[in-house]
Amino acid sequence: MPEFDSKKVADIHQQLHSHLPSDSALRIKALETLLVDKGLVNPDTIDAWVEAYSEEIGPKRGAEVVAKAWSDSKFKQKLMQDAPAAIDELGYLGKATAHLKVVENTDDVHNLVVCTLCSCYPFSILGIAPAWYKAAAYRSRAVRDPRGVLAEFGVHINNEVEIRVWDSTAELRYLVLPQRPAGTEQMGEDELAGLVTRNSMIGTDRDLGANPGRAY
Amino acid sequence: MDGIHDLGGKEGYGPIEVIKDGSPFHHDWEGREWGIAQCARTPGITIDWWRHCRELIMPQDYLGRPYFDSWAQTDFATYIEAGLISMEEVIEGKAKAGDSHYANPPAPMSVQQVLQEDRNHAFRYDAKIEPEPAFSIGQKVLTSSHGNIGHTRLPQYARGRHGVVHAYHGAHVFPDLSAQGKEVHQHLYSISFAATDLWPEVQNRKDKVYLDLWESYLQDGQS
Repeated sequence: MPEFDSKKVADIHQQLHSHLPSDSALRIKALETLLVDKGLVNPDTIDAWVEAYSEEIGPKRGAEVVAKAWSDSKFKQKLMQDAPAAIDELGYLGKATAHLKVVENTDDVHNLVVCTLCSCYPFSILGIAPAWYKAAAYRSRAVRDPRGVLAEFGVHINNEVEIRVWDSTAELRYLVLPQRPAGTEQMGEDELAGLVTRNSMIGTDRDLGANPGRAY
Repeated sequence: MDGIHDLGGKEGYGPIEVIKDGSPFHHDWEGREWGIAQCARTPGITIDWWRHCRELIMPQDYLGRPYFDSWAQTDFATYIEAGLISMEEVIEGKAKAGDSHYANPPAPMSVQQVLQEDRNHAFRYDAKIEPEPAFSIGQKVLTSSHGNIGHTRLPQYARGRHGVVHAYHGAHVFPDLSAQGKEVHQHLYSISFAATDLWPEVQNRKDKVYLDLWESYLQDGQS
């Protein structure tokens, strides 16, 4: 059982710095070998988690949630009031989404999500976070210079638009509901979902009419 | 803790590497570590203790090594601290003979079972508590000017700042104590801060930053 001893862990990290192999692949192999030897994990289950988050769970789920919110006003109302219950209807409630909140972009508001203290992310609807979301450059600047950050993603926000940055400091997780592009009134949910980029659900993309059909 | 992990507002980390790549994992070992983190049995651990152990990684490793690599180092540290594996075993690269902690190792899970397990991982952190929330929506609050030693979720950039209660979320597990293995619930609020109150260089008066903060980080901000 853990003793919750911070000093001991700081000392362990110093020793690991000296003793672990430098190569990441060898480090993770060493960890897996020890845990399997000790009966703490089953390697086949690791395979299954990798496949689940490569094939089944990813931003296509979030895109489906967004497309349904655009198409179905009752679903949207539920999503805004009780997002975990709404995504559970689609079978997408899961890891890190039991306290999901949805924040909506409008003509006057743009939302951007970050976790400055670690890398919190709504896994069961967006999958594995992109590398930039977990990197120091994004985590440090999103709260201080969101307009500069967005410009690096090719997104230029008019000064009249209010930017709301959501720093995920608790167990709440945030999903941005992007604006439905003009001229999509005839589209069904599947086609609409194809317009929704992963970045638009984090807030580093805004105008989905500008680049239709992108995968992310 | 006032550690390297507390990155909000820090300068000098350069431009963002914008890669439009939808691949969840870019190396096999990233996927392996993700899977290990989901299915390894770690009795008595809390999410906040795990986060704190990641914060305790030496700064040069925290910033210099890849993301999932830091997860693996955190796993090593939590297992060693809990006595489930030893530093000697890490150095040797294998478990001591016959040293299995479980008589029955976990059975393999299929992808379908893992998808159900992901649903089971929709953990809630809220609970009902007796005291009424001290603050109400729209109220001005002032954040604590000092962080707590050990794990805490009030970032440095939002300390000693005035904000407004935007939403109340019930009582959630208080991370500062959860990182010490104690489950105590405390009222949780979303607090909005004007960007101009956080950053001297910001000109746009409309922009806001929202943080989810526990009651003991806050005091009334009217006076």
